[in-house]
Amino acid sequence: MLQDDSPDASEQSSINKKSNKSETVDLTDNSLVVDISDALSEKDKVKFTVHTRTTLPEFAKTDFLVVRQHEEFVWLHDRFEENEEYAGYIIPPVPPRPDFDASREKLHKLGEGEGTMTKEEFAKMKQELEAEYLATFKKTVAMHEVFLIRLANHPIFRNDHFFRVFLEYDQDLCVRSKNKKELFEGLVKSFSKTSDELLLSATQKDNDDFFEKEKDFLLEYHSHLRDATAKADKMTSRHQDVADSYIKISTGLNQLATSDHPELEKFFTKVSDTFEKARKLEGRVASDEDLKLSDTLRYYMRDSFAAKQLLYRRLRCLADYEQANKNLDKARTKNKDIHAAELAQQQACDKFEQISIKAKEELVEFKKRRVVAFRKNLVEVAELEIKHSKAQVQLLKNCLESLKEEME
Amino acid sequence: MEESEGDHPPEMQQVSLDHNDDLFQSALQEEAPLDNNSDIFAEESVTSDPTGQAPIQQSGVPTSLPSSRMHRVTTAELQQHGANGDDQYVRVSITEPQKMGEGMGAYMAYRVSTQTNMQFYKKSNFSVYRRFSDFLGLHDKLTEKYLRSGRIIPPAPEKSMIGSTKIKMSNQSDQGASADFIERRRAALERFINRTANHPILRVDPDFRDFLESELELPKATNTSALSGAGVIRLFNKVGETVNKITYKMDESDSWFEEKVQQVENLDAQLKNMLTRVEALVYQRRELSQCTASFGKSVAMLSNCDEHNSLSRALSQLAEVEERVEHVYAEQCNADFGILCELLKDYVALVGAIKDVFHERVKVYQNWQHAQVVLNKKREAKAKFEIMGRTDKINQANDEVVEWESKVERGQEEFENISRMIKKELERFELVRIQEFKVTLINYIESLMQNQQQLIQIWESFLPEAKAIA
Repeated sequence: MLQDDSPDASEQSSINKKSNKSETVDLTDNSLVVDISDALSEKDKVKFTVHTRTTLPEFAKTDFLVVRQHEEFVWLHDRFEENEEYAGYIIPPVPPRPDFDASREKLHKLGEGEGTMTKEEFAKMKQELEAEYLATFKKTVAMHEVFLIRLANHPIFRNDHFFRVFLEYDQDLCVRSKNKKELFEGLVKSFSKTSDELLLSATQKDNDDFFEKEKDFLLEYHSHLRDATAKADKMTSRHQDVADSYIKISTGLNQLATSDHPELEKFFTKVSDTFEKARKLEGRVASDEDLKLSDTLRYYMRDSFAAKQLLYRRLRCLADYEQANKNLDKARTKNKDIHAAELAQQQACDKFEQISIKAKEELVEFKKRRVVAFRKNLVEVAELEIKHSKAQVQLLKNCLESLKEEME
Repeated sequence: MEESEGDHPPEMQQVSLDHNDDLFQSALQEEAPLDNNSDIFAEESVTSDPTGQAPIQQSGVPTSLPSSRMHRVTTAELQQHGANGDDQYVRVSITEPQKMGEGMGAYMAYRVSTQTNMQFYKKSNFSVYRRFSDFLGLHDKLTEKYLRSGRIIPPAPEKSMIGSTKIKMSNQSDQGASADFIERRRAALERFINRTANHPILRVDPDFRDFLESELELPKATNTSALSGAGVIRLFNKVGETVNKITYKMDESDSWFEEKVQQVENLDAQLKNMLTRVEALVYQRRELSQCTASFGKSVAMLSNCDEHNSLSRALSQLAEVEERVEHVYAEQCNADFGILCELLKDYVALVGAIKDVFHERVKVYQNWQHAQVVLNKKREAKAKFEIMGRTDKINQANDEVVEWESKVERGQEEFENISRMIKKELERFELVRIQEFKVTLINYIESLMQNQQQLIQIWESFLPEAKAIA
């Protein structure tokens, strides 16, 4: 398989850094800088080289590297998710598993069809596929990097013990992917959690208007984002298909050129050439749309899901608080264990208030973040579309001029 | 939008290079009644010609056309003639497709409008109504008359069981299903008629003129119906012909033909290959167009639920953008199909017509060779009688020998004529093809360019909206 030793991920990372930085962190803060400096794809796994530069005293060194796999990122995310102290925060969504299945299948199909096409054609299609593979690779690197950067920039998360272990510990974290039993347990848990969630949202009356509205908004928003992401993916994949079919037209014209009437040879060759160049442009449009539109939608789909999780945790807290209230009343009437009940109630109340304050902040942050991200990416996609279309127009104009000359 | 309709054939340079030669020929044609009984070959249905073609109309009675007048046409000559100011033309447009009748008897009729400056026609501007089977009937008549002499007859659009059923089954309200098909057929008919109208000889054929001019309803060409008795016979004949094509190996002495046959085979394969690729492109683009529409709708939903004002507005603008982009893709798809696909399909069919004419030549050759064989037998018989002293039989044998000698002569002449004619037709065909391909490719690239320009406009109008997000 492809080995990519020095991907151009730094470009990607700098773009994403700006869009996902929390506004409460000073942009020039260099006390903890994390990036993925290298990545290797072998067989089924991708190995990320996580590079840290830091001035914080908690770390043993100031500049160091570790190698991590996708499962270790998931492990880290789970540690944050299950931490009660972080209940009031939106936990940065875990990056998706590196998925080269589609590319691999296409490559396989191409190999099977090798006998039916010319060498030239085969070489071109293979080249195109390799470029696609590389693009997928770069994307997965970028998404894992964004995850780490968000953690590193967060004033609370950056100090997390597990985060430090992740960055520093130079051995394998011995994270085995869940075996069947654990997967099943996980499934049951998430199922019961979801029904819990539904139960709570239906029966739990929220005294706070803000949160009620947020909940309604997020439920709808998340579902539309999910739909839009899926459709965007389909669209960009079809666009890539159109670009690929240009290759066949181009090579077909070449074949015609060599075997047909000499007067048409130049004509066909020119048109074939134009198609070859046009397909590169179409390919770029497809991949830019993918990067700017699809990925933005995808990211915010995940982020909005994380926000939903936050709301759920808060509702759970509220349920606990109300339960503690009931317990206190019971204790008072029975005149038993009043002090313990009072303590418990106080704790529940504090917890709930804390979480509500933080959650409000996080949600406001979330909204600002998404507006900024959407604006940036929508502007960029529009600019790129214009740029590519202009290039195509120029290409086609040149072609027409040259063809019309031939007519004379 | 419909830039492909009948645009290319009429606008191509009029190939009137043979004007001088062929006026002479066509004049002869008018004089000599078309049921010319010089069908010397009528009794020769013993040849391996299973079509058993009845009185074959021969173009130009083969007598005294001096062979020196047949000349190789150079591109320069073509261009000279093309640049001639007094070029004659016949331009036809096919419009107003309408369904006539009901139920199984229903059919499509079209308005055929002609503009011409040729004296051959009664007026310079006129139109009539014709039905689809009339077109097929015309093609058949022309084939009957001219294939034998080596002319390449432009093929007519194929009868399509599915298409005609769609027409018969559709009612007023259900236009959508057949509308596409009807439009494609209309355009194909237009190209067919114009290609025929471009041909220096075919366009002054009386049947062709009748087709364009005659106000009378044309006799129903019943034997064009796929299911008729005649249709079944044709099917059998086709099979027979195919067997003939495979089994009879002509002794080719003309290297020009050897080469050409190979080239034509090659061209056939290439064109079919290209057609497959273009059809794939059409399919992909159509899919892209649909996905874009779908995406646009989901963005609209997103915009609706977003509470941030300027973002919501921008998203709804994006939804509109995607809708407009989808239209551009759909247009492009139509151009892919209407311009490129149809050109390739037409030429695959034309190459088929060329192969047909090659095959005719082989049949003519067979005829000639057969006559030669019979002549030899007759000579042998005569010699035998002479030896045996059968004076009673000698005279008759002599007569037969003379008869067959002249048949051989005519056979050879026919063969030479058809070979000559094919060479001329092919050269004309090549020139026309080159021109048409060039013009069509230019049209296509222009369509690509226009669509890209539209995309630029669409995104440029969106950009300020995106920037306006606060």
